[in-house]
Amino acid sequence: MYVYRIMLFLVFGGYLLSPLLMNGWGNPDIAWYRPFLIWGGLIALTVWLEQKRKLDER
Amino acid sequence: MSVDAISLLLLGVGYLALLFGCGVAVERGWVSVRITRHPAVYTLALGVYASAWAIYGSIEFAASSGFGYLAYYLGAAGAFLLAPVLLVPIQRITRTYQLASLADLFAFRFRSRWAGLLVTLVSLLAVLPLLGIQVKTLGEAVDVMTQSTRGSDVSLLLCVIIAAFAVFFGARHSHLHARHDTLLAAIAFESIIKLVAMLTLGAVALWGVFDGPQHLQQWLGSEGQALQTQTSKLEPAHWRTLLLLFFAAAFLMPHLFHITFAESLSRYTLLQASWTLPLFLLLMALPVPLIWWAAQAQADAPITLPAYAAYMIHTHPWVGALAFLGGLAAASGTMIMISLALSGMVLNHIVLVASPPEARTDLYGWLRWLRRGLIVSVIISGWLFYTGVGRHQDLTTLGLAAFVGMAQCLPGMLALLYWPGANRNGMVAGLLAGALIWLWGLWLPLFVATPVPTLPFTPLLPPDSPLWYQVTLLSLVANIVLLISVSLFSRTSEGEKSAAEACSVDAVIRSKRLPLEAATVDDFTTHLAQALGDEAAHREVNRALMALHITHQERRPYALRRLRDRIQANLSGLMGPSVARDIVDRYLPYRHDDAPVTDDIQFVESRLEAYRSRLTGLARELDGLRRHHRQTLTHLPVGLCVFGDDSELLMWNQALTKLSGISGESVIGSRRDSLPEPWPTLLGRALESNNAPLYKQPAHLHGRDYFLTLHKADLSGDDSRGGSVVLIEDHSEMKRLEDELVHAARLASIGQLAAGVAHEIGNPITGISSLAQNLRYDTDDPILLETADHIQTLTQRVTKIVNSLVGFAHGGRQTVPLPRDPVNLTTISEDALHLIHLARSGEDVTLTNACSKAIVVRGDAQRLTQVMVNLLGNARDACAPSGHVTISAGIDGHHAWWQVNDDGHGIDPTVRDRLFEPFTTTKPAGEGTGLGLSLAYQIITEHQGKIDVASPPPGHSRGTAITLWLPLYQQDDITPHGQDSDC
Repeated sequence: MYVYRIMLFLVFGGYLLSPLLMNGWGNPDIAWYRPFLIWGGLIALTVWLEQKRKLDER
Repeated sequence: MSVDAISLLLLGVGYLALLFGCGVAVERGWVSVRITRHPAVYTLALGVYASAWAIYGSIEFAASSGFGYLAYYLGAAGAFLLAPVLLVPIQRITRTYQLASLADLFAFRFRSRWAGLLVTLVSLLAVLPLLGIQVKTLGEAVDVMTQSTRGSDVSLLLCVIIAAFAVFFGARHSHLHARHDTLLAAIAFESIIKLVAMLTLGAVALWGVFDGPQHLQQWLGSEGQALQTQTSKLEPAHWRTLLLLFFAAAFLMPHLFHITFAESLSRYTLLQASWTLPLFLLLMALPVPLIWWAAQAQADAPITLPAYAAYMIHTHPWVGALAFLGGLAAASGTMIMISLALSGMVLNHIVLVASPPEARTDLYGWLRWLRRGLIVSVIISGWLFYTGVGRHQDLTTLGLAAFVGMAQCLPGMLALLYWPGANRNGMVAGLLAGALIWLWGLWLPLFVATPVPTLPFTPLLPPDSPLWYQVTLLSLVANIVLLISVSLFSRTSEGEKSAAEACSVDAVIRSKRLPLEAATVDDFTTHLAQALGDEAAHREVNRALMALHITHQERRPYALRRLRDRIQANLSGLMGPSVARDIVDRYLPYRHDDAPVTDDIQFVESRLEAYRSRLTGLARELDGLRRHHRQTLTHLPVGLCVFGDDSELLMWNQALTKLSGISGESVIGSRRDSLPEPWPTLLGRALESNNAPLYKQPAHLHGRDYFLTLHKADLSGDDSRGGSVVLIEDHSEMKRLEDELVHAARLASIGQLAAGVAHEIGNPITGISSLAQNLRYDTDDPILLETADHIQTLTQRVTKIVNSLVGFAHGGRQTVPLPRDPVNLTTISEDALHLIHLARSGEDVTLTNACSKAIVVRGDAQRLTQVMVNLLGNARDACAPSGHVTISAGIDGHHAWWQVNDDGHGIDPTVRDRLFEPFTTTKPAGEGTGLGLSLAYQIITEHQGKIDVASPPPGHSRGTAITLWLPLYQQDDITPHGQDSDC
């Protein structure tokens, strides 16, 4: 359940900070694929948390 | 690029034919179940979220708002990231109560047909623009590719084929909650097609138009930069609102709700989708800006139809064909699932509520045909919406109208999960208000050309904010405020409270232990047949029995209540919760008598066990404590059972299972009077007693006699749920020891009495013996002399018996030393036969001495004769007239065996274990003392021999063989001196 709280924290934190993603559009100083890298990192974190949850509930 | 319309139609029809082929392959089992039921298939089926909006609408949105298009993907990804706390609880409720749609869930939770009807209407109206988007993209893609206006006709033809597919593969089962493997596999296949199409288009854009990522970055920093400045940036508030809308759409949209909850494999599959679906959406979202930038780079003039930019990135017809196939795959999947989900909602909450099913012979067929009709109607209404309204609107406007509409169900859904205080009045008021604002602000303007009057309270919002933003905020605020305020100030029914507990996260239903009118499984079938018809009633009852693993003979109230719940859940999957509840309440009602109503503790415990791994913190600690106490009672080495106030058995521990031979699983939930005998009587006496223990109650359990002591205590107190606990102790061993003690005391008394009697008899016997001696001296008559000899022999026997009695009374010690004289067994067998013949009874029994040779043992001839006389007497009494008794003897090593065989009725099994105990007899009173065998045993033991008893003897069906083993006489045997003496 503590894992769920981390997920809640991540989702609501991401919800509040997500408008920053839009700054990358049309900005030559920011790589165009940066939002997707962040998104991929978030998925990797979720996979890790999912494994942790399985161990927690075993 | 211009393509022939017929070629495009053939491409579309060919693709849909391939989809049919895929369905048939799964249906016929040509594809392994391991593949069709793989979690990846479920994730890909969830990819139906990526509708035609993901292929075309996202590009249109990216063209106008840059990375704002990501809200569509990130909103859904957020919903699935929260699967453990948001989606899994919904899945639990929908699976437990067989709820297939959002309307089912609302109708179940708020115990209201109106809630179900309202949600169905809102879903229907909200989904229409989304359906319109699917048809519109098909039509407009045809228009763009063929440079003609044939799109509407082509899209109609494709809609008809899609409807046929949905009817063929989606309406096979009457139960909406039945899993459609074929359909899921087909939708997963469509997701693969659209993903491949998007990734290929992205690759063409990145490496075909640009020279890779570096070149794209350079283009964005040079000539592309000017083009990007034309793209507006979303306000953070607008962005967050969009995220919220798409977050809600990810699980509230009818088709997504259906796949996520009605088709899901398991909780773990859903949890796995919490990262696999976001990954799928990431791959779908990645090519969107690439396609748009490539189209910009290729275009000489501003792009008028940005949604169809994919058709502009390359002149090769196959690039266009790929984009068309991706769009068709996305649109057809969405239309199929929407039509299935909406048809179920309309059927359950409009058609069946308006016209309840009657007992008909083919209920399932009738429901199937109704569904098929509704599926076709839904898809055709999408085409009508496109031709009438959709073709005049852009994709963004249509999409937002749909998503804002569905978001009106979000407050109700969150209250359903997290606020048990919400009630139907609040939910209906909130949803009605929110839906009216949405209809007025976004939905009606789709149909009416002139702008509608401004909504109230909009001046509170920034003046330049877009209409969709204003409508979303106003409708959701009104919805939430009314939901909370009306719920707080209006009454909540008991049914709603119970449903709220069932739906709340981490809550356990406190089901009531109410008695049912139906007392047997057959009663269920009979009563249900009045509503469903015989065939459907039998099928539904059998289905529920199989699911619960209980038999037709089941009569336990607990099991019958579970059967009722299961039937209601199954009917809910068939006809929706409202109709199912009506049928079950009417035909399988509870009995409202004076019996006390308490919580169904057994059910609560089973639910707690099921959810144990999900409890945390204090709840987990308390659950651990509960389990500890339960284990203490379960493993208590004393029998324990607990009854409710209504005499329903709530607990039956392991010790009681061992004692009674009845497992707890088979009786828990039964009424006391339906337990196997002798428990109803025994426990009834205990429960009716005034808390005083019942000591050593006789009970015959699995072939043995037991003596049980029962203690009872009432479970009372402030927080008690009532009932009584009964402790059952097995005091059989203690009772046996007590009986033995009493028996020993009785023997001791009788021994003392016998000693006194023997002493008194001794004197007259001595007198008789003396008189017989005198008689020998006084006469020469041979007859009188023989009589005197007999008298003396018999008086000697009486003296010996008297001495034995005295010896027995003094603890088995002999009064005279045992002689060690040689004794011929043949001779004393003859003597014994002679003596036994003197008795008047049993003269028709043949007594034979078969001792053929002289066998000499050491001992006392007189006492051994007494033993043989006793054995012969018993054998003769056991024989029927014309029976046979035979004496035989032989030698085995240093011992002689001496056997009495008869063909009588044998020894009574009830006395076999205590055959040699004093006073053990089966003869009528006055005919036997019960001392014969006891004395025989004592005498043989004193001779250092032993007795074997076989009844019947080996190889015989009846009769008895008593074998005496005695040591053979040896020449060097010396008579011991002063072995025992009478003190």
